[in-house]
Amino acid sequence: MKKRKRSIIAIKEQRAAYIFLIPALLGLSFITYLPLLAAFGVGLTDLRVSHFFPNAPTPEFVGFANYTEIFTNPMIDFGNSILITVYFALFAVISSVIYSMIIAMLLNRKMPGRGFFRSVFYVPYILPAAAVMIGWSFLMDPTNGIVNVILKQLGLQPSLFFSSSETVIPTLVLIAVWTSGNLIVIFLAGLQNVPRVYQEAAEIDGANYLQRLRHITIPCMTPIIFYNILMSLVVNIQVVIPALSITKGGPGRSSMFMTFLMYEEAFRGGRLGRASAIAFVFFIIAAILAAILFITSKSWIFYEGGDDKK
Amino acid sequence: MSGMTKPIRGSLHSKKRNKLLADVFSFITIVIIAAVIILPMYWMFRSSVMGSLDIFKAPPDFLPMGTINPLEWLWRNYAEVANSTAFNYFQFLLNSLTISVPCVVFGTATAISCAYAFARLRFKGKGFLFSLCVGSMLLPTMVTLIPLYIAWSYLGFVDSYVPLILPYLCGGGAFNIFLLRQFIKSIPRELDEAAKIDGAGYFRTLVSVIVPSIKPAIIVVALLIFITTWNDLLQQMVYIQSREQYTLVLGLTVFFSMFKADYAGIFAATILTFIPGLLVYLFGQRYFVEGIVMTGMKN
Repeated sequence: MKKRKRSIIAIKEQRAAYIFLIPALLGLSFITYLPLLAAFGVGLTDLRVSHFFPNAPTPEFVGFANYTEIFTNPMIDFGNSILITVYFALFAVISSVIYSMIIAMLLNRKMPGRGFFRSVFYVPYILPAAAVMIGWSFLMDPTNGIVNVILKQLGLQPSLFFSSSETVIPTLVLIAVWTSGNLIVIFLAGLQNVPRVYQEAAEIDGANYLQRLRHITIPCMTPIIFYNILMSLVVNIQVVIPALSITKGGPGRSSMFMTFLMYEEAFRGGRLGRASAIAFVFFIIAAILAAILFITSKSWIFYEGGDDKK
Repeated sequence: MSGMTKPIRGSLHSKKRNKLLADVFSFITIVIIAAVIILPMYWMFRSSVMGSLDIFKAPPDFLPMGTINPLEWLWRNYAEVANSTAFNYFQFLLNSLTISVPCVVFGTATAISCAYAFARLRFKGKGFLFSLCVGSMLLPTMVTLIPLYIAWSYLGFVDSYVPLILPYLCGGGAFNIFLLRQFIKSIPRELDEAAKIDGAGYFRTLVSVIVPSIKPAIIVVALLIFITTWNDLLQQMVYIQSREQYTLVLGLTVFFSMFKADYAGIFAATILTFIPGLLVYLFGQRYFVEGIVMTGMKN
């Protein structure tokens, strides 16, 4: 009797759960995983925007022709796109994670106006990226921009910033770091969860600041460092707004990021099949980078015994 | 190692002094870095209240001093840009809101509902569904962009806001579901049980017990959805075609590419584009850090 009653409750609970999950079920199927499969499928056809017009011929199955095309056609220069995308992503992830960790540790001390400073570092993140890019492009104007004026004042070399293929990616990394305030907030949250007992125990044992940093703060922060690296990677590998708003992939093809290349192929060239092939290769590269991160993380993430897994 | 065997060196006094020194040092460092972070924003603002000829004058004026006073420029540049047909500020603002507000409302509501199921209810396939959910956090949105574009074109919704809003009826993004789930898990289950004993069903429990106790997290999620949809230039470029439908960021980008030499106008338009997001942030800022701290990011 009792068992039966429990199972009725369980069935009711299960039914409620599925009802609450309807949005997620729809989302996961129709805007996430089915489109992912479809991206692979479309990549095997010669679908173009013109196929949408009435009386247009039906698109044809072309097997892996799009893939051979993107990897061999020098006009597409896909290798270059892969290289600069990965280069930008890694460079941006490492710089912004280090920057935000340092800022978070400084902000975690007692100081007047902490809330104000936290906002100062966070605000660049909420500003629309396109507007940020446009604003920065003027500040970094090679001849008149304020940044070069300051650099010259300090006796440093002025830079060409967005106007040279050598400096455009480091410049974009710099702006990515400037806008990484969201990582700081998450690091700050994590720092507040570092058990004080450890810190105090180490202090009594005479450990200095650097020793405590190395043996307590950083190990306790590794799960959050991992989380931030992962989130920052997902964002930065998809970099596209700088290209859409100011660089247009240039100078030359030096900022022709994979996402922008896909956008150009699909929405300027109308070649949806080829663009899907690009998107799918992009997916595989992103997955490989994430997998590398997950696999290596086992060796450097420190889980506090007891209250981790939940 | 040697430090451990030695008796504790130095008096309490010098330890306190060291700590104070470290606090002062980090304060000064933060002030300097914060100044570097603020400077570009200040410079954009400064340039928006000057004439185009004065902006790039060498040597530059730190304060917006030009041929006429900044207040007058403020009025001129902003009014000019907002009333120009090229950057139709109020129309674009309204358009952006027409997208972001429903996204925030639907996205937050559906995210709460899904998060509740994942945090509290038992059902078959929970582990599997949850890992699908977390997995989708890692799936770059651009991978699914083209298939979705094809689907929306077949349904005849290109050049409307439907493709930008409808996805937010589906849980508001995996990250937000995850964040709310962590938060709900931190609420003592006894509260749910008490409501259940009082005869409340699942929906009732969610609305009257869970939602009030996760307010900071809800505000965080609402803010994040607002920022994401407000700033999503890529999808807006893909789906919006006619000028009257332009959003702020799309309008600004087009304005910039057409009038590159109207420096004052572009700076003014940039600042005008910053303002709505800043206001929303100021409104929710109090809850923000609290919200993220309490999600217990440690696992």
